[in-house]
Amino acid sequence: MKGWILPKNSLSYWLRQLRKDSDLIGPLRTPDGDIVFESVEKIHEIVLDPPASLPSVKEFFLPQYETVFVFKTDTVRPIQEKRKRVIFGLRSCDVAALRLLDRFFLDSQPDPYYSERRKNTLLISVVCNRPDPTCFCVGIGAGPYLKEGFDIQLTDLGDRYMVEIGSPRGRRAVREYSFVFQRPRKTDLEDQFEVQLSSTARFQQRINLEGVRSLILSQRVDEGFWQEVANRCIQCGGCVYVCPLCSCFTVTDRVYQEHIERVRLWDACLFKGFTRLAGGILPNDAPVSRTKRWFYHKLIYYPEGIGGFGCVGCGRCAVVCPSKIDMATVVLNIKRVSENAVSG
Amino acid sequence: MRSVVNIYTPLKGKIEEARELCPDVKLYRVRVPKEVHYYPGQFFMLSLWGYGEVPISVCSLDDTQTLEFTVRKAGFVTSAIHQLQAGDTIWLRGPYGRRFPLEMSYHRDVVVVAGGIGLAPLRAVIQYLLKERRKVKRVTLLYGSRTPDGLLYREEYDTWRASDVKVVLTVDCPSDGWRGNVGVVTTLWHQVEGELREAVAYVCGPPVMIKAALTDLFLLGMPADRIVTTLEAHMKCGVGKCGHCYNDGRFICTDGPVFTYKEIKEWDLTL
Amino acid sequence: MKKVPTVCPYCGCGCGLFLHVEGGRVIGVSPNRNHPVNQGSLCVKGWNCHEFIHHPDRLKTPLIRKNGKLIESSWQEALQYVAKRLSETISRYGPDSVGVLSSAKCTNEENYLLMKFTRAVLGTNNIDHCARLCHSSTVGGLAAAFGSGAMTNSISEIKDARVLFVIGSNTTEQHPMIAMHMLEAVDRGATLIVADPRRTKIADFATIYLQHRSGTDVALLMGIMHVILAEHLVDRDFVMRRTENFHAFEESLREFTPERVEKLTGVKASDIRKVARVYATEKRSMLFYAMGITQHITGVDNVKALANLVMLTGHIGLPCSGINPLRGQNNVQGACDMGALPNVYTGYQKVTDPKARRKFERAWKRRLPERAGLTVVEMTEAALEGRLKAMYIMGENPLLSDPDLNRVREAMEKLEFLVVQDIFLSETAEFADVVLPAATFAEKNGTFTNTERRVQLIRRAVLPPGGAMPDWKIITGLSSLMGYPMQYRDTYEVMEEIALLTPSYGGILHYRLDNGFGLQWPCPDRDHPGTPYLHRKKFARGLGTFLPVQFRMPAELPDEEFPFVLNTGRTGVHYHTGTMCRRTTVLEREEPEPFVEINPRDAEKLEIREGQRVRVSSRRGSIVLRARLRDNTSEGVVFIPFHFREAAANLLTNPALDPEVKIPEYKVCAVRVEPLEVVKRPKRPRRVDIEELRIT
Repeated sequence: MKGWILPKNSLSYWLRQLRKDSDLIGPLRTPDGDIVFESVEKIHEIVLDPPASLPSVKEFFLPQYETVFVFKTDTVRPIQEKRKRVIFGLRSCDVAALRLLDRFFLDSQPDPYYSERRKNTLLISVVCNRPDPTCFCVGIGAGPYLKEGFDIQLTDLGDRYMVEIGSPRGRRAVREYSFVFQRPRKTDLEDQFEVQLSSTARFQQRINLEGVRSLILSQRVDEGFWQEVANRCIQCGGCVYVCPLCSCFTVTDRVYQEHIERVRLWDACLFKGFTRLAGGILPNDAPVSRTKRWFYHKLIYYPEGIGGFGCVGCGRCAVVCPSKIDMATVVLNIKRVSENAVSG
Repeated sequence: MRSVVNIYTPLKGKIEEARELCPDVKLYRVRVPKEVHYYPGQFFMLSLWGYGEVPISVCSLDDTQTLEFTVRKAGFVTSAIHQLQAGDTIWLRGPYGRRFPLEMSYHRDVVVVAGGIGLAPLRAVIQYLLKERRKVKRVTLLYGSRTPDGLLYREEYDTWRASDVKVVLTVDCPSDGWRGNVGVVTTLWHQVEGELREAVAYVCGPPVMIKAALTDLFLLGMPADRIVTTLEAHMKCGVGKCGHCYNDGRFICTDGPVFTYKEIKEWDLTL
Repeated sequence: MKKVPTVCPYCGCGCGLFLHVEGGRVIGVSPNRNHPVNQGSLCVKGWNCHEFIHHPDRLKTPLIRKNGKLIESSWQEALQYVAKRLSETISRYGPDSVGVLSSAKCTNEENYLLMKFTRAVLGTNNIDHCARLCHSSTVGGLAAAFGSGAMTNSISEIKDARVLFVIGSNTTEQHPMIAMHMLEAVDRGATLIVADPRRTKIADFATIYLQHRSGTDVALLMGIMHVILAEHLVDRDFVMRRTENFHAFEESLREFTPERVEKLTGVKASDIRKVARVYATEKRSMLFYAMGITQHITGVDNVKALANLVMLTGHIGLPCSGINPLRGQNNVQGACDMGALPNVYTGYQKVTDPKARRKFERAWKRRLPERAGLTVVEMTEAALEGRLKAMYIMGENPLLSDPDLNRVREAMEKLEFLVVQDIFLSETAEFADVVLPAATFAEKNGTFTNTERRVQLIRRAVLPPGGAMPDWKIITGLSSLMGYPMQYRDTYEVMEEIALLTPSYGGILHYRLDNGFGLQWPCPDRDHPGTPYLHRKKFARGLGTFLPVQFRMPAELPDEEFPFVLNTGRTGVHYHTGTMCRRTTVLEREEPEPFVEINPRDAEKLEIREGQRVRVSSRRGSIVLRARLRDNTSEGVVFIPFHFREAAANLLTNPALDPEVKIPEYKVCAVRVEPLEVVKRPKRPRRVDIEELRIT
């Protein structure tokens, strides 16, 4: 029988062992009640059923601010993060997103910084038994549980976890401490199946991106619609910053007294300066062209270039968008508008 | 997953010559420590520590150890580059991007259409055509600039003409003594001899000019896949990662910067 | 990676966010999902507030000017030098020869300590800060009407309101997270009324938009109240039971018929009637305003008119019903509360009130000065006249933020001694005799009070770079050197002292702020849960007072020589004098250079093209910048953001002051616009007719 069983009692022991040569990242509750992913000191404080992390797991692979080179007296030194990490408690959508990012960052001209971090990180994802109200991964195949692509996937069966292994890295992390794992029994598999069913049933929204993609491609969404969306946008960049798949960055040099740092930072296509040419020409001066660009990239071009939607349905943009023009809302509006157009 | 080479590390080059071509435009000949193979249309990221990186297309041919770049002073980094002189260090990485499809021109007439600094990548094209002169038929260069002072590589025109390249110049604002054409470059189509619909065109210049030239050539019967241009965009990486040059599903840095009109017909180049 | 919960350092919204720390460096930011203000969102400034913290330009050591140059020195040398020079100045010219500017960017504790230092150690009431330049009209006007000058409602109430009346506030750009709540209210069916001479983004969501002429706010509001009175929409019960002086006020409205107001303001009489009816008849009506109201010589009158409006309709003292000045700086509310003002101690206790003074004298064990001190702009005047000899400036940049910069510069030059305490070498610091390197919000503990009176904890995430120190430590160090030891373990001990001396902060202590999202004052004791909305059942002063006002025109009107009205303000991506945001890659890239917005029809007349360089001049100075053709200002009005040192809008502005609170008239002055570098392009030959060529 595939998989292993990890009694919840043994979780903290196992994580403690894994932490010996790694920084353990997990969801922790802050004094004011939010839950954030950070380095874990007390393993028992880990929150076992956290909401989607903010910004998103990409912050551990493509940091918001990262020094990539140090230049000092005529020599260049790339700054490569060598630290090993274990990330516990991330969601299936995060893993699905990383798989897509892998294709983008590693398939051709591999990005050394992303690659190094990816190599040094073990992902222990947990199947969502309680999706957030904003979640819609289920319609995209990015959750609530995955069939492949993870290192280690845990399914909460009450007093124990079903442990599935999806990579050599994951296998090592289990095999080395195999004495805390047990062989699953038939009932465990039944329980797992039941959890998967009930979790899938808990989603409050189901969104068919494919349907919207064809609506857009068949010219059924007019410019006026995008104009309305763009009108509400205040260009905070939030949707881009939290999206586990948005990976645009900018690079800037910082001149310190003794050395120069070349820094890369998150950037967002919603900013008008994003495409500014030297001499001040702004190719995307109209907010509507920028707003459209974001949605088109995710819904039209991502499937063409990477082979999957540029959205895993994690719902984070719905949390951060101050204007309520997140992916789910806009997609549902497109559907509504075009259905009305047909019936009217 | 194994460790990968750092694609962002620039090479250290040495400036052998820095020559002012016209106000605000300089030509740099840069010597690199190891052989670099590159083709017309490709570009390098020129890098100055403390300032940043800019994509500049290579404007020379063949020599694998010395490369030439024409740099216009336009922004923060290019202004800093303009401070450099022969003997100074400049960092660079590349070559990046698609090359001009030059084999396409064999046994055909060629029209090279350039505006302002846009002649830089096309200079490499012209040098290539000169080298392969026998394989191509008639070659016409239509080149426009705002002022006569702004015309680049003036001392090379005679060499080009000697190899039977028809060089037609035009300016927007003529100075005293200017005897060439006045007006935009797209007023010169009648100067091209032979059937445009059978020819190949290589176009580069400011966005407005590119747009006008591409549509004109297309309307004049040239097939869209034989009208070739190269585009400029804001770039930070040059290798399809940073996302700045992304447009309608394509990265200008890796899918371009050279495109045929057929590929970008839907784009609004002057947005 | 650690994530430290704290508060955004930019605007008065006071959004909760986490600073991401790794290896002793702040490497990122994320919003707090549960925070009542931002609820998981941030604006672009908030999302990028991590970048400037480790910027190489940060000041790391004290600097002393020697032979005209700022030279690095030790803390001991710098502080001893400051102590010596300040003491000398006081002994030679008296305590009132020293002026102090406190900072709305610093914590409450730091403002309190600097206030205490100024009054108890220097012995003067000459302390003020930038609130003078933004909301002193509010503090003056609302205190007179109600007895307390602050936002009366909470931000979280906005979404439940039925009418939102926004006047003189570019909310979407300047208080993005408040605009978020407004948008939600609109989505839920609320009516949004926007009145602003410059059409900003918030107007896109408005049901009714009024574009009145700059400086005619009083007339517009009087017109609205005239209608309310004439159409019997007054809340008589409220007026009778909760207010006084109604009849005198009623008289003052008589002549402001909508038709006359239309002539004064340019707003159609029918629109004035419509707004009056909508605002008066709906019960959950919230009023919002910002600099567009306050930065006029009639600033206090504008605020009083608004106060009259809410009393007339009874729209105050309930949830979703009140008057809400949107405060600009992250802690401008707190800096005012802490008494960094020339006339009051903490909690607006007057320095001229002998009882209050005695209380502070007993607590601080020093004799305190009796007369109110000088305001910001008055300090400039005093310096020019030679009455003010030395200044101590904490985290402010008057050389870019104050009106008529040429005069400010002259004043600074006249000073014998100038100390600036800041995180970057600002325009003002470049002028100083001593520069003291301070810590950013990420490098210290303390509290900020946001615009809805919410006192929130900020927490240290990293250490300051080099020798930089938190402002409060610099002040205590200096004070001790000047013979008045201030000993506090950390800022929580300062807060305890504040609570003891300040009734409205009586129950606000750090340990109570550690969990949750702070406390809204008034919070008189340790068991008090804080106050979400003010003036419930009775006003702070007892009865609300109607304050009749007169309509006056702006101090400087356009004429033949200077035919345009200049309006100044901010952009969405930059903040004030740009010390932080202009060192942030993405923000600086959005708006890298100064610009002037001009109506396309005016531009056409002047032959100005988009992006062309123009010269804008007033009677006081002139700047060169690029033109941006936008129709969101009406003809005859131009707009310039004041962030840019390259073309400082405040070289042009008029230092005419409101007579009561001395706020300068930033929003109206007369200017001239001239195009530069007129390129005469020759007529180009016509494009060749393609069809013609194709045929041949």
